[in-house]
Amino acid sequence: MARYAMVLDYKNCINCKACETACKEENGILLGADNHRIWVGTKEIEGEFPFLNIASNNFLPSQCQQCANAPCQEVCPTNATYYDENSVVRVDPEKCILCSYCMTACPYDARYVDDRTKTVDKCNFCADTRIARGETTTACQNTCPTKVRIFGDLDDPNSEISEVLRTRDHFTLKSHLGTDPRLFYLT
Amino acid sequence: MNLKSIIPMKDISLKDLFTFNKSFSNVTMAILTIGLVAFFLAGTIMYLIDGHHAYNITREHPWGLIIAMYVFFVVSSTGLCIMSSIGHVFGIKEFEIIGKRAIIGAIITISTGFIVIALEIGHPVTMIIYNILTPNFLSAIWWMGTLYGAYLVFIIFEFIFLVRENHKWSKFFGLGGLLVGLAAHSNLGAVFGFLIARPIANGVFFPIYFILSAMITGSYLLFLMYGFRYKMDFPEEVKAMLTKLAKILGLLLAILMFFEIWRMLTAVYGGMPGRADAAWHILGSSNFLIGEVLLGMVIPFVVILVSKGKNIKGMVWASILGMIGIFFMRYDLVHDTQLMPLQLLKLREYQLPPTFIEYFPSFAEIGVSIGGIGVCFVMYYLADKFFELDHNKKDI
Repeated sequence: MARYAMVLDYKNCINCKACETACKEENGILLGADNHRIWVGTKEIEGEFPFLNIASNNFLPSQCQQCANAPCQEVCPTNATYYDENSVVRVDPEKCILCSYCMTACPYDARYVDDRTKTVDKCNFCADTRIARGETTTACQNTCPTKVRIFGDLDDPNSEISEVLRTRDHFTLKSHLGTDPRLFYLT
Repeated sequence: MNLKSIIPMKDISLKDLFTFNKSFSNVTMAILTIGLVAFFLAGTIMYLIDGHHAYNITREHPWGLIIAMYVFFVVSSTGLCIMSSIGHVFGIKEFEIIGKRAIIGAIITISTGFIVIALEIGHPVTMIIYNILTPNFLSAIWWMGTLYGAYLVFIIFEFIFLVRENHKWSKFFGLGGLLVGLAAHSNLGAVFGFLIARPIANGVFFPIYFILSAMITGSYLLFLMYGFRYKMDFPEEVKAMLTKLAKILGLLLAILMFFEIWRMLTAVYGGMPGRADAAWHILGSSNFLIGEVLLGMVIPFVVILVSKGKNIKGMVWASILGMIGIFFMRYDLVHDTQLMPLQLLKLREYQLPPTFIEYFPSFAEIGVSIGGIGVCFVMYYLADKFFELDHNKKDI
């Protein structure tokens, strides 16, 4: 029993995309641009040469926000999207009917259709690979060369993630929607 | 116990089944129907071979033309059910004659809707199983699907009792079908209205608008069904009913235009990101201006207004345009909801920054959904052969 979450020190991201590759490798995600559980977004550089705003050119690694109040879970007609015992939002391919309502409802575009099972898939913090093997790391976090990601249990006050969230200012994406994400970005 | 003891049917031979008066309108309809059914079969075969890859739906635009067409069919069904209830549930005399024809239309359109959606939902059998085993009562799709299932049962019983001339029970099931249909249909509006991620759709508008536009769709369909049935040569009682219907339709269209004006004004006012820009995009699109506004609302409204509802032949023709307009309303509803990209960053090199999501249906999608209208026509033709759908003269 845990309450897994992730902190992203996104300003350290160098857009090497090792996390995207590690995720595909670990979880057997099929090739193809649309088939991705996680991604690194690039912001356009603002301004005109020579007055380019290089501060605007940063990278934002992201994935399923593991919302505590997940719109995808609320809309799923068959409860195929559920919270597991570690509070991770997951999809049960047995129950998924591929109505795609969750894909329309997710504010983060975190879901896609997995051609292996013909059901909707998304990041589940490596729940059926690494966590299932008893490890307490995710593939993306483990591989990151600049240590952008910290993964851990929010219920454990001594965990690194709890410590970082206590000591550093952070924000969540689209927090005004009330989704209560468990992916925190450090400022 | 055979079927005829449950529901009275006409005695027809196989030859009768394929025999019809070779008038111009009948032959035109027959050719159109065969073409549409062939189109439907082609789309279905492509889907069965390639699955969802036969459709142009993507990660960013997961709902396409087929969802729009499902909405179109169930809107038609609910509309016919509501309009028929004016007669045999609420007892307005002139409308009592439309009961059987309207209800069989409602059964046929919702059945076609179910056929079409079965070719879009990835796992329809799983849906039936887990809809019962692990229901999610917070999901608008669960309520919509379940209530529509119950609605179909109600209107089938309603039809059986109408054909049996048992007005006590037909009224009972008619009222039940009406209430469950209203609940189901507003839930379908809520499927879109509940989407907090999509400011253009989120809110109270769709659940209410769906009921209103259903009534308008039902009225258009009644004009078309009666125009085709009587080949524009209407008996007095039908003429009286259609004149009243035109007046009701005029009022409904006025309310719809009023609703749309305020919907758009609220959407653009204040320039809220994700809502105002989408609304401006909609306001500048020909789908909206020509399809929804001109064909779906203005032309039929003008025909009613100019003739004070008396130009019934004109209304039958205007109803064809009206139904094309209704189609665009459903298509735009689905497409415009997904217009704004939720991923605002570039994910790959050489990718342009995300803008409005573009979508155009594939051949298979057009085949399954537009071809579905042909399936509707075939079922209506058969129903007209097997059942006595005309009103009983003694009921007038």
